[in-house]
Amino acid sequence: MEVSPHMKKDNIYWNPVMETLPREKLRELQLRKFKKIFEWAYNNSPFYKKLYKDAGLEPGDIKRYEDIVRVPKIDKGMLRDVQTRPPFPYGDMLAVPLSEVTEFRQTSGTTGTPVYQADTWQDWDWWAECWAYILYAQGYRDTDRLFIPFGYNIFVAFWACHYGAEKLGCEVVPGGVLDTEARIMKMKELRCTAFGATPTYVLGMADTARKIGIDPKTIGIQKITCAGEPGASIPTTKKRIEDAWGAKVYDHIGATEIGAWSYMCTFDSRGLHVNEGCFLVEIEDIDTGEIIDKPGKNGKMIITAFDRKAKPCIRFDSKDVIRWADYDCECGRTFRMIDGGVVGRADDITKVKGVLLAPTAIEEVVRSFAELSDEYEVVVSKKGDIDDILLKIEIKPEFEAQKEGILGRLKDELRVKTNLGYKMEVHPYGSLPRYEVKAKRFKDLREH
Amino acid sequence: MGNYNIKEMAKKIKEIRKTAEELQKLGGDIEAVKKNVVRLLSSTAMLELNICDISDLV
Repeated sequence: MEVSPHMKKDNIYWNPVMETLPREKLRELQLRKFKKIFEWAYNNSPFYKKLYKDAGLEPGDIKRYEDIVRVPKIDKGMLRDVQTRPPFPYGDMLAVPLSEVTEFRQTSGTTGTPVYQADTWQDWDWWAECWAYILYAQGYRDTDRLFIPFGYNIFVAFWACHYGAEKLGCEVVPGGVLDTEARIMKMKELRCTAFGATPTYVLGMADTARKIGIDPKTIGIQKITCAGEPGASIPTTKKRIEDAWGAKVYDHIGATEIGAWSYMCTFDSRGLHVNEGCFLVEIEDIDTGEIIDKPGKNGKMIITAFDRKAKPCIRFDSKDVIRWADYDCECGRTFRMIDGGVVGRADDITKVKGVLLAPTAIEEVVRSFAELSDEYEVVVSKKGDIDDILLKIEIKPEFEAQKEGILGRLKDELRVKTNLGYKMEVHPYGSLPRYEVKAKRFKDLREH
Repeated sequence: MGNYNIKEMAKKIKEIRKTAEELQKLGGDIEAVKKNVVRLLSSTAMLELNICDISDLV
């Protein structure tokens, strides 16, 4: 249990009323808000109107919370498809006149063709509001100087963090086109107290700082908010980052098509709160399609954003695999927690040699070895009828002499954690690709 | 936890919306009024989300 010493329990909520609303009242609020966004989409988005009419649903049919599961889901494939149809560029999903759209972003394209996202100014204000919930819960205050080492481009990434932090009153330093060295120097020069980036880049920055003779711990960073990858919810990766920077590390989860829907607070890093005032999260059993309400069972997340108007996100099948936590957080928030963040992707968990494998399990093992660098790569291929799995790693120069012992222990640990045997390939330190945004460390070369 | 007069806050927020919408009408085709009222109404929507939406639940 970690409690920031400067936090008093009466000053930890962005909205103390919303965040401590009794569960039954929260449920009532969610039903009411679901009905509202359903009606908005039905009346304003031709795409949603057709989807719901085809399912025999119209506003007024959602009376009880249990009726929500009758509403058809949408998925990324549908979002990609709709933008190939007129009107350009969002297709007929748009629920406001194009003249009201002020923001364009697109998904990173990690899983296929990027999806275009439209937002009105109010939607953008809502993004910032969701981030204000996150940052306040993670101890950010108007005395913080937050550095954002992000490229400020077509990806939403830390754009909304920037606006959310401004809303909180933080002093925000945009680290846009600077290279990594310049970013580190600027953070040091300005005595920044916090920054936000992907876990991969946070580790990469620490590495670069050391190369230019700066111990990251001396910069004065107190907290780091991670996004874009599950790393900050993987205990071994989180510890690596905290040890490198001497700072607290917090995870948050969001997506371009959804919004920033979940966050770690300063009290309990085992899980993340779902912002249930702004989102409805349902967990669906991958095999049966039943909604899972009990803690501990993995399922696919189906999510609704209540207040996003231009391109509504209603019962979006995100393919993210999550599970409800079987513990409550001592912070007093009534927002339910998910245990361990996003534990995988429904389309990412793959079978290798007949065994179900989640890439995050490999990361957890690799990052637990202090002798290894932060980078690794997994390549799955097929030799004849047999799957082959190759793990590429880097051994830190000072541990080169212990190579055989390290490889032996790594193989054993991976077998225990993933039930699979791996071929190992040791690469020179610093030679595997380094990533600034989302890392692509898992490569499946098999034909599916 | 402090005691908050949520219902009174919700009432004031409704008044802000009403005033902003009236201002928008009065502004006619003055872009400087129209576009700034859009921002005012967006902030109002965030207050509604935080306060008005839950005012009858507390």
